[in-house]
Amino acid sequence: MNNGIVLLRTLLLSTSGRNIRRHSTDKKKRRRIIGSAVGVVVLYAMLMALCAAMCIGFGRIGLIRAVPEMCALMISALAFVFTLFKTNGYLFNFREYDMLMSLPLESGTVAGCKFLYMYIKSLAWYVSISLAMLIGYGVYARPSWVIYPVWIVLSLLLPLIPMLIASFLGFLIARISAGFRRTNVIQTVLTLIFTLAAFSLRFVIEDLVRNDRIEYTLQAASAISGGASGVYLPAGWFADAVTKGSVSSMLLLAGVSIALFAAVFAVVGRSYRSINSALKSHAAARRFRMSAQKQRGVVCAIAFKEFRRMTGSTAYLVNAGIGVILSALVGLLTLIIGPERIINMVTHDAPVDPAMLHPAIPFIVYFFIGMVATTACSPSLEGKNYWILQSLPLEKKTVYQGKMLYNMAMTVPFMAFSTLCLCVAGKVPAIETALYLLLGLALCAFSTAWGCVCGVRHMRLDWENEIEVIKQGAAVAIYMLPNMFVVMGLAVVSVVLGLRMNRLLLALIFTAAATLLAALSYWRVMALARRNDMGKRKPGHA
Amino acid sequence: MRTNDNVMLEIRHYSKSYGAGKKAVDDVNLTVMGGDIYGFIGHNGAGKSTTIRAVVGVLDFTEGDIFIDGHSVKDEPMACKRVTAYIPDNPDLYENLTGIQYLNFVADVFSIDAREREQSIRRYADLFEITRDLGDLIGAYSHGMKQKLAIISALIHKPRLLVLDEPFVGLDPKATFTLKEIMREMCQNGTAIFFSTHVLDVAEKLCNKVAIIKHGRIIASGTMEELTEGHSLEEAFLEADGDE
Repeated sequence: MNNGIVLLRTLLLSTSGRNIRRHSTDKKKRRRIIGSAVGVVVLYAMLMALCAAMCIGFGRIGLIRAVPEMCALMISALAFVFTLFKTNGYLFNFREYDMLMSLPLESGTVAGCKFLYMYIKSLAWYVSISLAMLIGYGVYARPSWVIYPVWIVLSLLLPLIPMLIASFLGFLIARISAGFRRTNVIQTVLTLIFTLAAFSLRFVIEDLVRNDRIEYTLQAASAISGGASGVYLPAGWFADAVTKGSVSSMLLLAGVSIALFAAVFAVVGRSYRSINSALKSHAAARRFRMSAQKQRGVVCAIAFKEFRRMTGSTAYLVNAGIGVILSALVGLLTLIIGPERIINMVTHDAPVDPAMLHPAIPFIVYFFIGMVATTACSPSLEGKNYWILQSLPLEKKTVYQGKMLYNMAMTVPFMAFSTLCLCVAGKVPAIETALYLLLGLALCAFSTAWGCVCGVRHMRLDWENEIEVIKQGAAVAIYMLPNMFVVMGLAVVSVVLGLRMNRLLLALIFTAAATLLAALSYWRVMALARRNDMGKRKPGHA
Repeated sequence: MRTNDNVMLEIRHYSKSYGAGKKAVDDVNLTVMGGDIYGFIGHNGAGKSTTIRAVVGVLDFTEGDIFIDGHSVKDEPMACKRVTAYIPDNPDLYENLTGIQYLNFVADVFSIDAREREQSIRRYADLFEITRDLGDLIGAYSHGMKQKLAIISALIHKPRLLVLDEPFVGLDPKATFTLKEIMREMCQNGTAIFFSTHVLDVAEKLCNKVAIIKHGRIIASGTMEELTEGHSLEEAFLEADGDE
């Protein structure tokens, strides 16, 4: 059998829940796998519901023809961003690198298999989006039956091109970083720059295709997707294939995906070993001189350990830090160019009074700040080092408090900065600003404690690659997706209620609710800590 | 390809620097013949693992060259890896595979036919007493069991060069004895063995050749007799270490 297939099959088997369930004698571990699978299925269902709702919206206003392009763009954008986050850890700098590279496997084969593994593991997300949109499209557009299999097959190919582009960018980042002594820092900075550039690409595309006569948001989104597919050709090929049955578009999508795969991994394979050698090697300066040392409190010491853990890992720093950085950038940008322009950009020139959005400020900030709580992944990130915390005279309560303290220390300053920027730019009255800061604080506390509940409840220590728990872990998914959807809903609710009732009272009500939820979550963390301390849960599994 | 009778591993002027800093390994020269058991000893951080990882094609390097069975590690890595087996000091194996799944993966990569792999796995798993554990997930193994599994995976394709980094760490006394016996047997069959160790007693009893590395440079090398000159290896090591 071809070595590439052998390796890919082994990579998939090595993270397959079915394999673990079949061979593990640990009942709790087997239960955890079933629980995680159920949780992930619920998340798929939520994503499908969101996409179906979007299709219904388009169908109702007669814009169903835009759905194929929207579907292609949505899948491509998600595939690009998620891959950019995952490249370091999956393609480069992975744990079993020594073992694989000592076997007679070509560098290009290892890199290609790692990419295909990443693709297959994330395919279910993209298929969920595609199926939901296909159903919506089918209901409103009533296409020929041939379109259904074509849509499904082509949507399997859709993530390939953006993933390959993101992987190539990841390769460039790794290659540049490998030339520096502080590879980790350079890699983190470059990844953040590329990620922020990717986020802003949406607005660049929008500017390219902007139509002055856009009047309504949905219509604008449809026009933008139409224009964007002109810029991003694979989305146009997909749309042509499923709406016009264009065989040449189908062949183009398939052909370009395969050709790009071959080209990218021919290039990556050539310097794969040198890049990984540089990324996995750490120069020893051997210049340390003993000096006066500082004593920290136990909780602070754990929080500081979390800080070092985060700054020591590009994947962790980029994934957990992107939210706070985006919040600061949004704050700064609003302060510099004014809230009106930002609102126009986001709402596509819809007639919105900036003052109307004031009650949503804490939720807008929290949307970014609460995107990923470090507490959701840090218990799992202990991994094989879990024994250190276990063997120390520490109660779980103290450990979790340390982890929560770190998340608060990281998020609160950014929340305060961003909220102040938005309030100053929006000329929000001082008392209202103070209340929004208070609400932001309560939301940060909730995010921290709820993240910790998810992190401890779905702790997974037996990961092969830290990305598995940072990006794809059940704890992070269960924390992140509902949190994002709920906060988007709350932002809308706060604007609607803000038009009908006193804003100060509204902010106080939201603050009280967030504080209550934070307190309940904290109480739950403490209960879990007591339970873990009593030894009801054993190390090595959740 | 270079041809030189029985030379299995030849390290020529190999140097490795990290970043722009000083060299972790500086101008290392070594030759391991088929049938040699070559010990590589030195302090922690002396450059043993950096050399070994370059030999097995894991670590990239620019200065010098390394030849395995006449093939350059730089230019013909596949030809080198097909005849080499590597056992790292702390093997990172796929924790969610069972032992037998992992061994089958390695056997598939080396294209070992079903009957031959079954015989090899049965033989070595029995010798290391882990046959009954092969159906369990590697994540449930102790450090020593993982080490045994890594050793078996290295032996099943009958390598002509066996490279081991601290192979006795974590092994129980019986497994240590078994591994030493296997190494002797392989050496009699013409396999070259190159391994790093801190256990000087083991090196003294097992090796016919030794190299001592300090701060990235080989400070002494040769046959055991040449190096010890009637003294123990420990004394020879301390003397060489002190002279530098």
